[in-house]
Amino acid sequence: MTLRLCACTQGLLSMLKRLRSSPDKELRILLLGLDNAGKTTLMKKLASEDVSHITPTQGFNIKSVQADGMKLNVWDIGGQRKIRPYWRNYFEFTDILIYVVDSADRKRVDETGFELNELLSDDKLAGVPVLVYANKQDLALAAKASEIAQELNLHLIRDRPWQIQACSGIRGEGIKEGLEWISQNVKKK
Amino acid sequence: MWFYLIRSYIFWHLRKVIKWFLRKTTKLCELQRICYAQPVGACRTRSVEQSLRNSSSPQIRGLITVLDARASDRNYYSGRSILVPNAVSTITRVKRIDHCEYERFTNVLGQCVDNIWSYMQLVEEIKTSAAIQYDCSNDVHEKSLLLLWNELMPNNKLENRVTKQWQDIGFQGDDPKTDFRGMGILGLDNLVYFASKYTYLARCALSRSMHPIHGYAFAIVGINLTSMALGLVVDGSAKTHFYNKRNPSEYEDFNEFYCYLFWEFDKFWLNAKPKDLMEFATHREQFENTIRQKLEKSNTVFLIDVPLDNTTDMLDR
Repeated sequence: MTLRLCACTQGLLSMLKRLRSSPDKELRILLLGLDNAGKTTLMKKLASEDVSHITPTQGFNIKSVQADGMKLNVWDIGGQRKIRPYWRNYFEFTDILIYVVDSADRKRVDETGFELNELLSDDKLAGVPVLVYANKQDLALAAKASEIAQELNLHLIRDRPWQIQACSGIRGEGIKEGLEWISQNVKKK
Repeated sequence: MWFYLIRSYIFWHLRKVIKWFLRKTTKLCELQRICYAQPVGACRTRSVEQSLRNSSSPQIRGLITVLDARASDRNYYSGRSILVPNAVSTITRVKRIDHCEYERFTNVLGQCVDNIWSYMQLVEEIKTSAAIQYDCSNDVHEKSLLLLWNELMPNNKLENRVTKQWQDIGFQGDDPKTDFRGMGILGLDNLVYFASKYTYLARCALSRSMHPIHGYAFAIVGINLTSMALGLVVDGSAKTHFYNKRNPSEYEDFNEFYCYLFWEFDKFWLNAKPKDLMEFATHREQFENTIRQKLEKSNTVFLIDVPLDNTTDMLDR
């Protein structure tokens, strides 16, 4: 009963909040990266859902999330090699590209760099701001965000705003900072 | 809010009055009426479960607490030969059940009790297994993974432990271990069971999964189906199937349930003729809905539709 009461008040509160600051911005966010980078975990964490039983994404998932006064429509597309050719079908009308990197997967640094370059050189994504999450910072073997930035040659990007953000999807650390960057860069747009 | 409060208050008292009235007129307690009136299966077991859980008797409440604790510590199976008769005798004593009614009632009640708490332990077993991460330094895990390959691809030797070949059976990368992150060893157990017990069906599904347009990633879909099966069992929807099987549920029954889901999903996917594998989420949801609808019918019990004898015949041919 108390649970129900809590849910009621929470529902009411969030409704009031929405009324007060109805989100004027609706953003289409594309979440890409290699398989096992942690895209689905990040998306679920954004939506405050349980992240303990994430299975590999076959196809894609979509979620609408309210954050920082924005309505984010997040498209989480599977990262396995077989699915990568389909990524292009989801490029249109993208406001922000979030590229997720498994910072502990040293063996596939080149592969993830290659895929990112492919994305950045695609006409359909021209000028779209890119946020790179250096994920899995909770793991002991994880490379620092600055190392990842270096390895991906992010400093060579001139045609769009970009940002690298260290985070841990499982612990939920660093995600908020990335969202703040998104909201600032959308305002500038 | 108030409406719910008042409604549940009225129901609570009404239930007591009805129970008292029926007890006086039929000279049978609620549990007896359930056990005699309802045929063996999910309907009866569910009603017994509800009746026991709603009981206000302190002895029965105590009994339930003990059984729940045993099941959630995964200690019920090992003690069932003592726990079940004890439970039955406590219930018959509390309900002051007539001696001439005794045997007929106790057998049925014992079955129900065993089914209810076996299912509860099964839930714990599979949750525990899903929480065990795949570990490359664990021989059992490694052997199990290689067995999966050998069952599915008897004519192709695995060149390396880490190799692109794993993608041929539908893993995402060169090392399957990362794909088990969400479902742990449960995901591997399920796949291995399907590939070794229903080898013919598994190979059929694998070859269909390789279709250039209507294909899917066999292993990844398999792990997603483990997640679906786990969800159905944990939220209690699958009780219909497990209570309708005559024997109390064990780990192997979960594997069987999984094989049913996999084989049915393969057919469902093929029938849907999806444009490409990006449609997976939609079809997965539709498939889960059809399974849930079936589980809502009280007489549902899932049987894999190819008899075991045929599978070996077909393999020989």
